[in-house]
Amino acid sequence: MSTNPILRVEGLRTHFYTFAGVVKAVDGVGLYVNKGETLGLVGESGSGKTVTAQSIMRIVPTPGKIVDGNMEFKGKDLRRLTEAEMQRIRGKEIAYIPQDPTTTLDPVYTVGEQLTEVIVKHQHVSKRYALSKAAELLRSVEIPDPHVRINQYPHELSGGTKQRIAIARALSCEPSLIIADEPTTALDVTIQAQILDLLKALREKFDIAVILITHDMGIVADTCDRVTVLYAGQVCETGTADQVFEKPKHPYTEALLSSVPSLALRKQKLSVIPGNVPNLIQPPTGCRFHPRCFYAQQICVDRDPELEAIGDERMVHCHRWRELDLKSAVAS
Amino acid sequence: MSVLKYVLRRALYLVPVFFGITLLVFTIERLAGDPVQLYTALNPHITEAQRQALRHYLGLDRPVLEQYLQWLIELFTLNLGYSYSSGLVSSLIAQKVWATLELQLIGLVFSLAIAIPVGVLSARKRYSIIDVTVTNSSLIGTSIPVFFLGVAFILVFGYHLHWFPSGGLQSTLPSQYPYGNLVLDLLWHLVLPATVYTLALLAPVVLLVRSSMLEVLRQDYILAARASGLSERTVIYKHGLRNALIPIVTYVGLYFGGLLAGAPVTETIFNWPGVGAQFVVSTTQLDFPVIQAIVVLITLMTLIANLVTDVTYAYIDPRIRLE
Amino acid sequence: MPATITVSEQRVDRGHGVSQWALAWRRLKKNKVAIGGLAIVGFFAVLAAFDGWPFVLTSNDRGLFALYPPQCVAGFSPACLTSGPTINATPSGAHPFGTDALGHDVYSEIVYGTAAAFIVGLGATGFAMAIAVTIGLAAGYFGGWIDNVLMRLTEVFLVIPFFLLLLVFLQIMIKLNPSATGGLWLVVFIIGAFSWPGAARIVRGEVLRVREFEYIAASRQIGASSSRILSRHLFPNVLHIIIVLATLGIAASVLTEAAVSFLGFGAPNSNTWGQQMNIASSYINQAWWAITFPAIFLTIFVMGFNLLGNGLRDALDPRLRE
Repeated sequence: MSTNPILRVEGLRTHFYTFAGVVKAVDGVGLYVNKGETLGLVGESGSGKTVTAQSIMRIVPTPGKIVDGNMEFKGKDLRRLTEAEMQRIRGKEIAYIPQDPTTTLDPVYTVGEQLTEVIVKHQHVSKRYALSKAAELLRSVEIPDPHVRINQYPHELSGGTKQRIAIARALSCEPSLIIADEPTTALDVTIQAQILDLLKALREKFDIAVILITHDMGIVADTCDRVTVLYAGQVCETGTADQVFEKPKHPYTEALLSSVPSLALRKQKLSVIPGNVPNLIQPPTGCRFHPRCFYAQQICVDRDPELEAIGDERMVHCHRWRELDLKSAVAS
Repeated sequence: MSVLKYVLRRALYLVPVFFGITLLVFTIERLAGDPVQLYTALNPHITEAQRQALRHYLGLDRPVLEQYLQWLIELFTLNLGYSYSSGLVSSLIAQKVWATLELQLIGLVFSLAIAIPVGVLSARKRYSIIDVTVTNSSLIGTSIPVFFLGVAFILVFGYHLHWFPSGGLQSTLPSQYPYGNLVLDLLWHLVLPATVYTLALLAPVVLLVRSSMLEVLRQDYILAARASGLSERTVIYKHGLRNALIPIVTYVGLYFGGLLAGAPVTETIFNWPGVGAQFVVSTTQLDFPVIQAIVVLITLMTLIANLVTDVTYAYIDPRIRLE
Repeated sequence: MPATITVSEQRVDRGHGVSQWALAWRRLKKNKVAIGGLAIVGFFAVLAAFDGWPFVLTSNDRGLFALYPPQCVAGFSPACLTSGPTINATPSGAHPFGTDALGHDVYSEIVYGTAAAFIVGLGATGFAMAIAVTIGLAAGYFGGWIDNVLMRLTEVFLVIPFFLLLLVFLQIMIKLNPSATGGLWLVVFIIGAFSWPGAARIVRGEVLRVREFEYIAASRQIGASSSRILSRHLFPNVLHIIIVLATLGIAASVLTEAAVSFLGFGAPNSNTWGQQMNIASSYINQAWWAITFPAIFLTIFVMGFNLLGNGLRDALDPRLRE
C-alpha cells in the first residue's frame, strides 16, 4: 500500500447553526486515504460520519457550515476551490453514494435520464453516447436487462437494484475516490453480501480509493484496509484494520468490537455500550466519551486529549492509551 | 390502465355526483317557499289571480317531481330557462362570462408568475431575512379579508389619488377614455381589480410553493444530485422545482374548477360585471333560474376540472398509476 | 464490559418518560411565531370575556360599559345622526377610533364584535368538526361500502361552490325570517354545515394511516371491540390533526362570515365585524375609520388563529417525533 494519500483531512470542524443552538457535528476530524485503498469510517449514528463525507464534498446542507480544517485532494485545497471547480470534482473525481437507495433517485425521471445527465455534464458527450455508456454501466454492476431498466422509473425497481444504480452513477465518470455512505444498511442481508462483493470487485478492477462509512464492524473487517473510528464528531483512533482489530487502543473501539454478536461467543451475554449519544450542542467536557467510558478518570473530564500518532499509520485520541491493555473480542 | 378507460370510469362517477348536486340545489330552492310569492312580495298591486297565472306559466303548480325532471331535461338540452328579471339565462351568463374570465386568468397567471419564483427563493434561503419576510407577509396576507383590500385600494388609489377609476369595466362616456383609446380605457379599469385579486391569490400560493419546495429540497435525491456535480441551477430547477410543482398542479386544477364562480366579492366591490357579481345580485333577488344555472354550471366545471387534474397528475408524477 | 461507573458528574442522560403532549408543547414554545398567535388569541379571548358577551346578539343593546357619549345611548338622538359624532376624526379620549354612521363608538363596536367572532369561529368550526370527525372516523375505520357512501357524499359537498350556496341559503333564511334574533346562530350553523368535507377527508386519511399501525391490528386480535379501538387507540392518534384543523377552521369561518356579512347576506341584527363593515362601507368617504379599524382587528384575529394553527401543525406533526 503506497503511503501517498490522495485525500487528507485535518482538523475538520463542521457546525450546524440551528435555532436550538450550534450543533458541533464534526469537531476536529482528521483522516487520510491512500490511492486504491479502502478506509472504513466507523461510528454510531450521530457520530458525524455522514457530515464528514458531506464536508469533503462541500455539500453540507444549511444550516451547516465548514468552520475549520484543511482538506487536500490530489494536491488541491478543497476549501479554496470555487463552486464551479468543486462541481467539476463532484461526481467526476470524488463520487458519493448516499445512504438510502430508495430515496437517492429522483422519482420523476427515468434511470437512464439520471445516469446520462451526470455523464453529459462531466464528459461533454452527446446524449446518445451517454445512454450507451449508461447501459454498459448497468451491466457492469450486474443489473440484468439494462436496456429495459434504463427506461424505468425508480419506484419500479427493488432496493438492491436502486443501490446498484447509485453505484453505477458514482462510477460513471471514473472517479479516483468513492465515498459510500452505509451502502448496505437499508438492504436486507442477502442483498448486502452481493453489494459488498460488487464493491470489492469494482474496486479491484478500477483501483479506486473508497471511504466506506458504516457502523458495522463486520463489514469493516471484511472489506477495509484501514479504519478510522469516530465518536461524537471526533476521531477515536485510526489504524490498519489488522492493527485495530487485534489490539484496539481506544476504549470506544474496544466496546464496539465487543458488541459484535458472534457465534463463537454464544454463551456470553450481548454486551452493550451504556448510555446515549451525547448532545452535540453541549458536548461533555474533556473527552467526549468519558461519560460512557469504563476507564474514565478525572483527567478525562477535565481535558480533551490530543490525537496522537503512535506508530506506523496509527493514531489515538485518549489520555490513557499507554496504560490501558484493551482486549479485542474478535481478535483472530 | 389506459387514459381513456380511466377517464370513462371517472366520468361514470360524475353522474351520481352530478345528480346529487342538482337534487341539492333544487331542494334548497323549494325550501325557500314559493318563488312567485317571494319575488312579488313587495309589490302590493299584484293580485293573487295574477300570481296564480304566473305560477302556472312558470310550471310551479305541477307536482314537485315533475318540476325536477323537467328541469333536468332542460339542463341536458342546455335550456337554462328565463331569469325572473333579465331575460334568457344563457345570454345573461354569456354576457358576463368574459369579464370574469379576464379577471380570473390574469389573476392566475400573475399570481403564479410571482409566487413561484418568490416561493422558490424563500425555500432556498431558508431562515434568511428574505424567507422570514416572505413567510410572515404571506401569513398576514392569508388573513386579510379580500373585501377590505379591495375597498382600501379603491379608497386610496381611486378616491384620494385619482390614479385609477373606482370600478366598472369601462368608462361610461368615450370622452373619458384615456387618450381617447378604448383599449387603454379597458386596461385602466382592469388595473385595480386585477391587482387586488392577484394579491389575494398570491399569499396562499407562495406558502404552498415554499412548503412544497422545502419538502423537496430535504430529499436525498437533491443531495445526490449535488454530489454528482450537477450545477446548482440544474439541481434546484430540474430536480427540485419539477417535484415541487406537483401539488401546484392540484391547486391550479382546483382553481379552474372554480373559475366561473368568479370572485363574487371582488367583482361586487369593483362593480365588475362578471358572473360572480351577477350571482350576488340574483341571489339577493332570489332569481332562481339564474342561481340554479350558475351553480350547476360551476359544479360541472369543477367536476371536469377535477378529472383533468387527476389525469394530469398521473402524467407528471410517474409514481401515480391510473388504477 | 460491565456497566458504567463514571468519575464524572456528567451522568449519562437516560431520559425520563415524557408524554407526547409535553413534547409537542415544548416544540410549540420554541416557535415564536406560533406563540405570537397564541398571545393574539388569548388577548381577544380576554377582550370578549370581559366586555363583549351580553351585547352580541342585538345591535341596539349596548349596555352601560361602552365609551360613547351619553346622548347616544338610547339610539337616535339627533346629535348622533348629524355631523357631530358621526364624522369624528380620531382624537384620543372619548372616541379613540372614532364613531360610525349610527353614532356608535367604533372601539366599543370592535369589542362587541370580538365576542361575535368567537361565537362564529367556535360554533361553526365545532359543528363542522363534529360532522367531519364522525364521518372521517367511520369511513376510515370501517371501510367497505360505508366508506364508499360517505366519500361520495363528501365529494358532492366538496364539489359544490360552497360560498355561492352559502349566500343562497342565507338569503332564503333571512327572507323567511327577517326579525330573527337567532340570526347569527343560523349563519354559524350554515357555515358549519358546508365546511366539513375538507376536514372529513383529511381525518379519514389520518385514520387510514393510523389504522395500519400494528398495535391496532394487535388489539383487534385480542378481541377488543370496535368502539374501544376507536376511542382508545384511533381517536387519540388523529386528535392532533383535529386540533390543527379546528384552529385553522376558526380563522376560515370568521373570514367567511365577514365576507358574507359585508356583501349584505349576514344576520342583520348581529353585531359582527363584517356587519359593521357592511354598514360602514356606505359612508366610507366620510368615515374611513369605521371600516378600517374593524378590518384591522379582524385581520389580527384571523392571523392569530392562522399562526397558532400552523405552529400547532408543526409541533404536533408525528413525523417529527424525536
